Amino acid sequence: MPKKIKKINSSRRNFLAGSATVAGAAAAASVMPITIANANHTEKGARGLPTWTGWKKRSALIIHSDKGMETHRAAIGNSVITPLRHVYIRNNMPTMSDAQIGKRSNWKMKVEGVKNPKTYTLAQLKQLAQKTEASILQCSGNGRGFFNHKPRGSQWKTGAAACLIWTGCPVSAIVKDCGGLVSGAKFMTATGADMPKQLDPKKALVERSVPIKAYKDAFVVWEVNGVDLPNSHGGPLRMVTPGYFGINNVKHLGKLAFTAKESSVKYMKSSYRISPIGKKGSQYPSCWEMSVKSWIVSPLKSAKSGNIVVSGVAMGGTKKVSGIKVSVDGGKSWKKANFTGPDMGKFAWRRFVFETKLKPGTYKIVSKASAGGKSQPKLRMENRRGYAHNGWLDHGVDIKVS
Amino acid sequence: MVWILKFLNVSLIILFFVSIASSHSWGDAIKQGMQIFNEKAGCAACHVLKHAGSKGNIGPNLDYSKDSQNVAYVKDMVKNGLGVMPAFGEDGILTPEEIDAVSNYVAKVAGK
Repeated sequence: MPKKIKKINSSRRNFLAGSATVAGAAAAASVMPITIANANHTEKGARGLPTWTGWKKRSALIIHSDKGMETHRAAIGNSVITPLRHVYIRNNMPTMSDAQIGKRSNWKMKVEGVKNPKTYTLAQLKQLAQKTEASILQCSGNGRGFFNHKPRGSQWKTGAAACLIWTGCPVSAIVKDCGGLVSGAKFMTATGADMPKQLDPKKALVERSVPIKAYKDAFVVWEVNGVDLPNSHGGPLRMVTPGYFGINNVKHLGKLAFTAKESSVKYMKSSYRISPIGKKGSQYPSCWEMSVKSWIVSPLKSAKSGNIVVSGVAMGGTKKVSGIKVSVDGGKSWKKANFTGPDMGKFAWRRFVFETKLKPGTYKIVSKASAGGKSQPKLRMENRRGYAHNGWLDHGVDIKVS
Repeated sequence: MVWILKFLNVSLIILFFVSIASSHSWGDAIKQGMQIFNEKAGCAACHVLKHAGSKGNIGPNLDYSKDSQNVAYVKDMVKNGLGVMPAFGEDGILTPEEIDAVSNYVAKVAGK
């Protein structure tokens, strides 16, 4: 059975409007433990890559199911940008096949909620305007595997996140080309074209609304890390909403609308809501803006005594990450770490390094990032589905120095 | 001595009938679970499960995922749903007995 529920992050209790109660925690504790799929390619009976995304690098991935796979903590690389073959996959609908997509340049995207609604082909979008920008893709449930109540869903630890270079057409250029927004538009709503026809759109359509302000940074992309956007990452065209959780970066984008209200489909109304344990509903906050966060990528288990280099990544969510500290005593004392590598803008993460001298022994090494005047909290924000975890304690590593 | 032999004989006969009865009930349980999977719950529309002959491609392939062999995990999913998967228990689509039957069935045959 799950271990004792830890104290929740009290600084964010108000955010949860009602928060986790003792009864709620007890209810959650009654949920049977879910096996954490920490299997990698070397484990006995390890699964191979599913055929629809067989181009991925198996040894870089932790496979949760044939539709969900996570980047191994050590496999995000040291070059700021995550190698595409290592990037996680999380699907709400099956990846569209080449046959379903057809000729990529003819892919269509409707635009509504503008003065002159239009339908663009991918070829037309490429001619309209272009921008290239680094942006983090992170699943709302990244870090779910650290929650004691074992929420349903893939038990991601750190690897449902990647920093990628995207190329696409800015939404602001599309809006301008369509004569501007209609009055009263409060949300930008993106709709996937990947729902199989036999399903009920109310229950299965991947349609996400974000506050209208997000359209100024958003773009519809067809290229990632120098290659055409693969089908398994939502090709030939997907939404990228920098600073927002993965679900808002809708794959296989078929429609973009500027709406007065949020979409009423399940994926907007009830899924991806950050609610207290034991409660759910559309009154709770949606998984929108990401928060400041960091984690260590090396060392992960052991190190030789003497000079040790601790490295990791730090992100600011929608704000530029401004600082990073590391502690080798579980958070009792902190020292400033240094950023290294290129600064690719506020929506990318920074790589950090911290050099220290350690004698033989065991150490809890943790990192704490700051952005926009806020630092990562110590504890996770307890919530029903295990979303938006940015607490530094759980993201630490226990290292044996010999 | 005769008494012991008689006792053993009776015991063996009882054991024989018990094993017949339990093998029948297990066969029935498999049949019932498969029927719920393919018909009443319609799991087959969304999941691959070789034993049931299903090839649905909306949700995870149940033969591929190791979690499918964990009955507690399967039961939790069937009962509460996830994403597009309905909450068969919470929404009253299946009875608790049917949830047990289909979950035991999936956990028993997944990956086989």
